[in-house]
Amino acid sequence: MILRNLKFALNSAWQSFWRNLAVSLAAVLSITLILILAGINLLVGHALSQVLDGFRAKVSEISVNVSDDTPLASVYDFKDQLAADPRVVSVRFVTKDEALTQFKSDPQNLILAQQIEGNPLDAKLDVQVRNLNDVAAVDSMARQWSGVDPTDPTNYQGDFVNRMLQLSQWLELAGVGLLVVLLIVSVVIVMNTIRTAVYHRRKEIEVMKLVGATEWFVRGPFVIEGVMTGLIAAAIALALLAVGYEPVVSRFKSDIGFIPLSYDPAFISSLARDLLLAGAMLGALGSYIGVRRYVRI
Amino acid sequence: MVLTPDFATRPVISFQHVHKTYSTGTEALRDVNLEVPEGDFLFLVGPSGAGKSTVVRLLIREEKPSKGKIFVDGVELGRMKRRRLPHYRRKVGLVFQDFKLLPNLTVYENIAFALRVLGEPDQHIRARVAEALDTVSLYGKENTYPANLSGGEQQRVAIARALVHAPRFIIADEPTGNLDPATAWEIMQLFLRINARGATVVMATHNREIVDLLRRRVVAIDAGQIARDDRSGRYHDDFAKSEVRAQ
Repeated sequence: MILRNLKFALNSAWQSFWRNLAVSLAAVLSITLILILAGINLLVGHALSQVLDGFRAKVSEISVNVSDDTPLASVYDFKDQLAADPRVVSVRFVTKDEALTQFKSDPQNLILAQQIEGNPLDAKLDVQVRNLNDVAAVDSMARQWSGVDPTDPTNYQGDFVNRMLQLSQWLELAGVGLLVVLLIVSVVIVMNTIRTAVYHRRKEIEVMKLVGATEWFVRGPFVIEGVMTGLIAAAIALALLAVGYEPVVSRFKSDIGFIPLSYDPAFISSLARDLLLAGAMLGALGSYIGVRRYVRI
Repeated sequence: MVLTPDFATRPVISFQHVHKTYSTGTEALRDVNLEVPEGDFLFLVGPSGAGKSTVVRLLIREEKPSKGKIFVDGVELGRMKRRRLPHYRRKVGLVFQDFKLLPNLTVYENIAFALRVLGEPDQHIRARVAEALDTVSLYGKENTYPANLSGGEQQRVAIARALVHAPRFIIADEPTGNLDPATAWEIMQLFLRINARGATVVMATHNREIVDLLRRRVVAIDAGQIARDDRSGRYHDDFAKSEVRAQ
């Protein structure tokens, strides 16, 4: 009997979607627009988090400059001490010669490198810190080490790191806030669109109730129709976003090159999952609430 | 053949001191006491606004009484849980003045609808719908949509839908109100046949000719109270006069 009812609900939902095509399309359109906005929010959020990850990786690595008169044994002792610290991911010792080679290999230093006589650069310890919040503490530890170059101890820029941390927190908060607003707006719009659809069919609902249909028998086709509407809208939104994603990113890259935005095709599949799920849930929830007033016996 | 209801048996419908006041303050029924035995054919008559439709709405539990009790088949409707209501309504066949057919469904689908909500298998539905179509003489119109049928034919479809699940009670609210006299008479023949098969029929009507001709039980309601209950009654002239006055 449950299977028969499910079959009836599926058939009714399918027929009703096509019979009330104008209202169905209005519902699809409003959900599509909302999902496109939500999708753009997710894509921008993802792109920004990639950019921030890049920055985070950069600023969570500090170089500790070693004074020229520090004995090598002391350098290795400190290197071991750092490597044993749980906050540190890795430590690499760069000798003075290696530092010079690195400096010369950077095209930006081409002219400066030609003017250098001898090797004015310090040997250094490149320290990769696990957590951005711990960089300040590791930097402070390095500055207290006796072997550090007192004139230029590390390349740590505390202010910049703090600003980055603040920026990333604000961006995350803004993204979540925007998603919450979109969610509330979308549920209200979908609910009202579906309520209009239900209003057109209130006589049908009345007849269903009079012949002894249970609340769920009446509600089922509407909820399934809502899920169907949501999935169609999600598929359209996804197709539009997938088509627009790559060209927009490359346009952005060419116009604002200093922000390292990148196209991530792998994110499309997670976006598809999120949008389809959101579409189905929005449709179901909107229908459930929209139909409630008429279904209650 | 006219079946005489057995008043000695336990009533299947019983109104006990029923009052109904709507939220607007309108007092629709006042201290109504009514008993309907199984197999009865009862006309509810009275001027517009007298309370006939309120009785129908209470019987199908679209409304609850403000005071008093209504029992149908031993169950008190006012205390019935909401989730039990669909099961109760499946025991009742409903016919309305405006037919209440679904315009997007064919004749067959409209009738089958009453069985679909019960979760009946397709094969069973086909056989029962064919039987109901035969009873209302609409064989061959299965695939027609309601808009392409006459008023009388639409009411036949509504009756077929009301009786397809073999209900014990038929409740009809002005079923001939939108029909010409000849068609109304045909529709009444159908109700008589359904009643002869054992179903209890309660019908609210304004149709004086039919009531006077059939001489069945007549319960006259006036200003929310039962004014008259005749076992073999007529549509009283007083009501006809007051209706004329009202117009």
